[in-house]
Amino acid sequence: MLRFFLSILLMILALATQSVAQSDPKALIDALGKADFKQAEDLLGQIAASADPRVVPALEAFNDGDLYVRKSDGAVFITRASGANLALIDPLSGAAAGEAPKGAMTKLKINNSLRRVLRSALGGLTLLSPDRNVRLSAADAVLRSPSAENLELVEAALAKETDREVKARMEEARAASVLSSDRPVDQKRAAIETIGSIGGRDAISILMSASASLDASLKPDVDRAISKIQSSLAFWDLGQNVWYGISLGSVLLLAAIGLAITFGVMGIINMAHGEMVMIGAYATFMVQEVIRTSAPQLFDWSLAIAVPVAFLVTGAIGLVIERGVIRFLYGRPLETLLATWGVSLILQQTVRSIFGPTNREVGNPSWMSGSFALGGLSITWNRLWIVAFSLSIFFGLLILMKRSAFGLQMRAVTQNRRMASSMGIRTAWVDAFTFALGSGIAGIAGVALSQIDNVSPNLGQSYIIDSFMVVVFGGVGNLWGTLVGALSLGVLNKFLEPSVGAVLGKILVLVLIILFIQKRPRGLFALKGRAIEA
Amino acid sequence: MISSFFLRALEGRILAAVAVLLAVALLVPAANLLTAPDSALHIPTYAVSLMGKYLCYALLALALDLVWGYCGILSLGHGAFFALGGYAMGMYLMRQIGSRGVYGNPDLPDFMVFLNWKELPWFWHGMDMFWFAVLMVLVVPGLLAFIFGWFAFRSRVNGVYLSIITQAMTYALLLAFFRNDMGFGGNNGLTDYKEILGFSVQADGTRAVLFALSAIMLSLCLVISSGIVRSKFGKVLVGVRDAESRVRFLGFRVENIKLFTFVVSAMMAGIAGALFVPQVGIINPGEFAPANSIEVVVWTAVGGRGTLIGPIIGAILVNGGKSFFTGAFPEAWLYALGALFIGVTLFLPKGIVGTIQHRFAGRRAAKAADEAEKSAADTAVANQIQAAE
Amino acid sequence: MNFKARLGGAMLAAIMSTTSFHGAFAAEDTIKIGVLHSLSGTMAISETTLKDVMLMLVEEQNKKGGVLGKKLEAVVVDPASDWPLFAEKARQLISQDKVAAVFGCWTSSSRKSVLPVFEELNSILFYPVQYEGEESSRNIFYTGAAPNQQAIPAVDYLAEKEGVQRWVLAGTDYVYPQTTNKILKAYLMSKGVKAEDIMINYTPFGHSDWQTIVTDIKKFGSAGKKTAVVSTINGDANVPFYKELANQGIKAEDIPVVAFSVGEEELAGLDTTPLVGHLAAWNYFQSVDAPVNAEFIKEWHAFTKNDKRVTNDPMEAAYIGFNAWVKAVEAAGTTDTDKVLDSIIGVSVPNLSGGTSTVMPNHHITKPVLIGEIQSNGQFEIVQQTPSVVGDEWSDYLPDSKNLISDWRKPMSCGNFNVATGKCGGKGS
Repeated sequence: MLRFFLSILLMILALATQSVAQSDPKALIDALGKADFKQAEDLLGQIAASADPRVVPALEAFNDGDLYVRKSDGAVFITRASGANLALIDPLSGAAAGEAPKGAMTKLKINNSLRRVLRSALGGLTLLSPDRNVRLSAADAVLRSPSAENLELVEAALAKETDREVKARMEEARAASVLSSDRPVDQKRAAIETIGSIGGRDAISILMSASASLDASLKPDVDRAISKIQSSLAFWDLGQNVWYGISLGSVLLLAAIGLAITFGVMGIINMAHGEMVMIGAYATFMVQEVIRTSAPQLFDWSLAIAVPVAFLVTGAIGLVIERGVIRFLYGRPLETLLATWGVSLILQQTVRSIFGPTNREVGNPSWMSGSFALGGLSITWNRLWIVAFSLSIFFGLLILMKRSAFGLQMRAVTQNRRMASSMGIRTAWVDAFTFALGSGIAGIAGVALSQIDNVSPNLGQSYIIDSFMVVVFGGVGNLWGTLVGALSLGVLNKFLEPSVGAVLGKILVLVLIILFIQKRPRGLFALKGRAIEA
Repeated sequence: MISSFFLRALEGRILAAVAVLLAVALLVPAANLLTAPDSALHIPTYAVSLMGKYLCYALLALALDLVWGYCGILSLGHGAFFALGGYAMGMYLMRQIGSRGVYGNPDLPDFMVFLNWKELPWFWHGMDMFWFAVLMVLVVPGLLAFIFGWFAFRSRVNGVYLSIITQAMTYALLLAFFRNDMGFGGNNGLTDYKEILGFSVQADGTRAVLFALSAIMLSLCLVISSGIVRSKFGKVLVGVRDAESRVRFLGFRVENIKLFTFVVSAMMAGIAGALFVPQVGIINPGEFAPANSIEVVVWTAVGGRGTLIGPIIGAILVNGGKSFFTGAFPEAWLYALGALFIGVTLFLPKGIVGTIQHRFAGRRAAKAADEAEKSAADTAVANQIQAAE
Repeated sequence: MNFKARLGGAMLAAIMSTTSFHGAFAAEDTIKIGVLHSLSGTMAISETTLKDVMLMLVEEQNKKGGVLGKKLEAVVVDPASDWPLFAEKARQLISQDKVAAVFGCWTSSSRKSVLPVFEELNSILFYPVQYEGEESSRNIFYTGAAPNQQAIPAVDYLAEKEGVQRWVLAGTDYVYPQTTNKILKAYLMSKGVKAEDIMINYTPFGHSDWQTIVTDIKKFGSAGKKTAVVSTINGDANVPFYKELANQGIKAEDIPVVAFSVGEEELAGLDTTPLVGHLAAWNYFQSVDAPVNAEFIKEWHAFTKNDKRVTNDPMEAAYIGFNAWVKAVEAAGTTDTDKVLDSIIGVSVPNLSGGTSTVMPNHHITKPVLIGEIQSNGQFEIVQQTPSVVGDEWSDYLPDSKNLISDWRKPMSCGNFNVATGKCGGKGS
């Protein structure tokens, strides 16, 4: 250990003699080229302490893995890919410094500890940026990895800050930095107060990690602040759980809603339903592939484009299946199970042959990434969009069924085929398009599920049983039943999970469904009249 | 009248099938043990175990046919009874390993030792006795079927709803047996058996006996099933299948009839599982997978539902095909399997045996059957109208 | 009558066809090896790649003139992710196709299922996947990592280099995670970590809703001590897990996740930008900077005709296993099982990380342990590499296995020798 510090000391001495000033950023950055992770951390500390804003691009490049050292002379450059070569940029001046083949350069490696130091250093250095958003995220970075070195920078920035939100965030960042500095006790007490008022898990985390080094007299303050946060969190936890339940329910709803048509309305035990979802997800993948190669600027729109594509593709496949197989099997629901099982095997293997057995990457558009806080709730954007999406599909379908001519015909055919036929409805045509509609909706569900799950040939299999449970639990032939069924199963699952664990929770839900069906053999919302008999 | 005609025809067939099975039970082990390996008549041990496995599947399909073909209960969870029977036998075989396990613990199976269990869970006690294990092979699936059926049939859960909750049952059991805390070895299951009743499970002789036993059990269950469906009870059973409410209005306790059949069928499935395990050498939660149970339905449908012999042939054919295609066309066999299911449902709706029977029965019988079907359809419509009102 | 013929015919047809089909392809002057990887079902996602690797290795070896002057021929079968079918197919490969050795299996259940078959028929299996240890069969070679070649070095790295003091052991509820977590817990506690600083969590296979668990991890991580997640989550469930981590804003700088089942192949299904910095521990990464690796990747791309196909750790294990077998066969001058079993111990072959791997008497191999951080291009940046480690089949951190060792050399020839009692056979009776 001692030897290690000595060597660092020696190195710093060497640097000092080499360069004009000890904190000459150029020399420090060049030294990064030779440092291991531990030494690099120390160097970064010095670079941050220099408070020289010119180093920001170099540090950013380091963070992004764009900082390289030239093998020949050990000079460090920011690089941009330029064909097979790397375009070199001077780390401080930003001036172009020619090109070099990749082989002549070595990438500067970075690990998590370094990343943490970089985040803090960059936060401190960009506190004075003219861009409001950069200042805000800088304050955030300082708040998340507080260090005593940043304290003065924060205070200097705070003095100049005019924007209300940024200022508030900087106050918090300052408080966090104060806790890890050697400021007097009363300043720290005020800081604990400030952190405590932020609330949430992050605040607890900051307080807990600071508490070890704090003066013993501050202990009660810390405890008070933490217990205050925890009591408010306990309340929000309940809401958070409900939200998780709703979000799980919306996924179940998405998976089940196409089945509610093919199985619920038409009475086909459609084992190929899961494969329609899977094909929808692959359609999303294809759309994104095309966009990536030909129009990358449209990437954020990829899902919006994928929805109609998936609907048409899976709808068309559904149409073919109905015309080719299922239309011969009406009135024999249990045999539809066998035939669609065969169809599902073939579809799975086809997808496996075309796309390979491994997962395919479907990207999240920027508007579906990340999360936001709503009071004490933390809500992720992708889940929010999926809830909204599934509900809008549900209501869209409801309107189609109840308000459109096609919906009317569809209901007429399922309720009394012969009567509908004698009224001049082309029942075969209605059957085919009803099945296509159900398949198409399953495809749309696949678009959404591609955002949260694997896109692999097995995707459908993992949802098929849950989908059947939802439809049966809710009541076959009733869309509202599917909605209520999906949401209540989702919430139930999420309330069981924390107490009994995910595995047992799932088993209990299944047992409860079995028991529930004993009580109401036709599900939650039993269809009156000529129910679909199997 | 018509049905009695069919039954008489079937009786001869059942007899023939039993004779074939018993002959196979005798000849295959003989061809395996008594002939020289290079003789043309020799059947390698590999093939004996393979055929033994098919026979166990055939018994499972037969059990399903009893409830599906004759009682109209489409169980998508029959694999669960099969697996439970298998687990009971597997537990016995695990206990027989004794101190020959890798850790040499005389009481605890290996998986419990390395997961740091200190003593045997209560449900493992007694499983070292063969008679007790055999009892459990019958009792555990039977009891589960009884409890499940007791609730389901009394609440008149039927049709698709029943199918789906049987699927839920096997799925729940799948998840439960995957849990290591359950004490059944988690996903690795029970394996690496040494001996059964003191005979090495790997010895050719033991394999031959197990094979013969599977064939004998299958014929025994075939006779029992045939006896059930040919009795007066069997006719009521078919009545339940075709017009449940009528039978109920006639004063029969439909739920008890269903329950009895369901329990008998579950026990048969349990026996199939128990014979399966020592021949295959492993039982693990994968047997509970809903897809497996659906496959059983497929075998039954391929062979011909409601014919008793059909499921046996279906199980052997599909599994034989699977063995062949997974080796010959590893990349494409799923296409063949999928196409088979679609083809059978579209072109052979009565299954192989059903279609052949249909042909053999001649035109007159066919016509009569059509009429019967039509009248059945009419009553179904009448029932529906009644129900609607 | 009719049925008699039919029944018998059907059975025989099924059996005969299997034999005759393969028989037709069997030429006199080839050595056959079996490839036993699922090409359909749930495990196809991982195993298909290994089948391709085996075919490539056989092709390469044949270009070099085969083995013992004979061409190699790969017999590929599909056990369809169905464990009893694994046993059946293994039996078929050994007794019908007469293969000299089998390369295959992925899950522990499939290995457990075929183990009695290999011991009974005395053939050789090369098992290329990291596993929970606690096994050493005379007929199986474990070329993947044992827990001490993966899990323990990873935990050491986190404790030393990242100062982690609080641990979440999250896994799928099956035997590998259960055992690994038991070992890790014992190990961590022996290093002075308190029980309340370890959280163990299990989820079902294919778990896709990670909201609650990720929140729990966040909660556990806000106790002021540096926290890390040690993930033994099974392949398929990883993608939704990482997506949820990213969306809930858990960065590697705050709570790093080190995974033992996530490699290049799994990452190919993910946008890795938000995951940069999360770790994985393996014995090989595609990003390894070694000429032998560059060569291997080039061959792989040429063989699959796809420049984007990634390589991963089980592929390297298959590569090592195959080459060790070739070398052992050449040394023994025959493919006879007993002779190969004798000659393979001590065989050293180059591995893809630039060193060599030696087959040890316990049928495990030596390999270095690499810790890598996920990069935005779906590859790993190697942040630490240990010297070669010998695979330890019986963990020193489980009370019942710490006294066991395995040595298949004569005269010991024992897979579970108890050093305390001096007897072969576990506790010894």
